[in-house]
Amino acid sequence: MSSNGPMATPATAPAEADPPGLLQRLGEPRALSWIAVVVVIVAWELAVIVLQLNPIYLPRPSRIVVALYEMFRTGGLTTDLVATLIRIFGGFFIALFFGVALGVWMATSVRVKAIADNFIAALYPLPKVTLIPLLIIWLGTGGPFMLTISMLGAFFPIVINTVLGISQCDQGLVLAARDLGASRRQIIRMVLLPSAIPSIFAGIRLGLGVSIILVVAAEMVVGKVGLGARLYLAGQVLETEQVFAVLIVLATLGIVVTKIQDAIDVRLGHWRVN
Amino acid sequence: MPPAPAAAAPAATVIAVEDIGLTFPSKSGEATVALFDVSCRFAPGKVTAIIGPSGCGKSTLLQIVRGFLTPTRGKLRFVRLGAEDTAGAPPHMATVWQAFNLFPWRTIIDNVAFGLEVAGVAKAERLARAKKALAAVDLSGFEQKYPRQLSGGMRQRVGIARALVMEPEVLLLDEPFGALDAQTRLVLQEQLATLVETSGTTAILVTHSIEEAILLADTILVMTARPGRIAAEIVNDLPHPRSMATTHDPGFSVLFDRIYGLLRQEVIRAMATEGGDA
Ligand SMILES: Nc1ncnc2c1ncn2[C@@H]1O[C@H](COP(=O)(O)OP(=O)(O)OP(=O)(O)O)[C@@H](O)[C@H]1O
Ligand SMILES: [Mg+2]
Repeated sequence: MSSNGPMATPATAPAEADPPGLLQRLGEPRALSWIAVVVVIVAWELAVIVLQLNPIYLPRPSRIVVALYEMFRTGGLTTDLVATLIRIFGGFFIALFFGVALGVWMATSVRVKAIADNFIAALYPLPKVTLIPLLIIWLGTGGPFMLTISMLGAFFPIVINTVLGISQCDQGLVLAARDLGASRRQIIRMVLLPSAIPSIFAGIRLGLGVSIILVVAAEMVVGKVGLGARLYLAGQVLETEQVFAVLIVLATLGIVVTKIQDAIDVRLGHWRVN
Repeated sequence: MPPAPAAAAPAATVIAVEDIGLTFPSKSGEATVALFDVSCRFAPGKVTAIIGPSGCGKSTLLQIVRGFLTPTRGKLRFVRLGAEDTAGAPPHMATVWQAFNLFPWRTIIDNVAFGLEVAGVAKAERLARAKKALAAVDLSGFEQKYPRQLSGGMRQRVGIARALVMEPEVLLLDEPFGALDAQTRLVLQEQLATLVETSGTTAILVTHSIEEAILLADTILVMTARPGRIAAEIVNDLPHPRSMATTHDPGFSVLFDRIYGLLRQEVIRAMATEGGDA
């Protein structure tokens, strides 16, 4: 794990091979990354107390934690969290399904690619927040709107990366599969898709990130429940502690999503490493 | 043309290439004439080697036989040998590739079982057959590894097992050992000679190595530089089984010199045209 080089002492001095000292352990990168977080939080807490800052501008971390706890216990923050998660992942999974399907179709048919190309080129770089007003006119502000905006965020990166991954597939593998008797469908399922998985995953990372941004932004504009709505309302009434509390929940959500993606990546890519 | 063996199995099929030409069109410059008026026959139960300068159309010819490329001229026929020769269906074929072309995300055993899997063979049976095929190429114990964990020579043995497990009537080998070092190559050539001799399949072997051709083939087709034609068809009746010891046979040097004499001119010609093209 550590990059400290070999820790073992020469065989002539076995008695000296005692565990690394506390200072040495604190210097390890893993420990350091957490120590840094603790230092910043403590400094923040002390700064607010010493400088006697107005909690409307900057509340103390300890107060934020209390606010967070209260919001979960009595304030219905769980409901908001669940609503936001359903919107994000509902839209994301729809995008995953249709995005991979369209990507495969485009990558395996020049006609489909020709038909879809310009639409994707036009819609992909368009900041999706700009679609919020139009979507509200069409869909209102309820569930369908939220799912659509989330879906739109994840869809394009997934389509584009699926097309990219499949078109980069080693043609030798396709020939080998054909030679062994695989049908077109079997080649897609057993050769093209598995070889495109790293690229599709890169699309998923990008897409899920955009979905999260869009759902929270949409909730801030029109939501009645959801983390975005909660954040906006707290800001309106200058409940700065609650603002920070919601930000903590959002940041944690980001960490959890990233870690899950890393774990899935490692599992799916185990053939790439030893 | 060597006569068909008297004791040939009833289903034996000759692959007949008749006046085949193939031109690759190109959008920019002039089209590439890869093959021009190629005629040859691949006899059942025999190993035929194709040897020729780089770019002369050997792989193209193999792809035509496999049915992956359609010739622009001429015909590919499958002739069933019998009391009366009749047109037959293409025989069952499997290819061993120069670049191995193993599926990197599949374990070794799942690579070997791929062809059986797409054919719908039940899991237990296909794994058992793949295991046997791996044992035949001395790779027992590597079933659960991934291609990346194996050396080049081992990977190509997986490639051979993956083709042989399909029990093909015709084995197509496109420079199977071209990517391997000289020593590994020697050992695998001997092993392949044994495998092909014992299974009795028809094989077509594309190679750049004269030794390999003499060691493995019954007939050696020498091709000209591009556009590829058959310059000579050489019958190799050195006794079986052949091994590295065969290279000390006086007949070996005679064959070697003859093939080298033919190839030398063509390779020089190929180099001249390559230079002219550039
Ligand atoms: N798909 C293609 N499109 C255009 N030209 C091609 C194509 N495939 C092969 N060629 C050309 O046709 C000629 C014959 O190619 P082929 O791969 O059959 O040669 P080869 O004898 O197998 O060569 P090598 O010994 O280098 O493998 C070459 O000049 C090659 O550049
Ligand atoms: Mg070739």
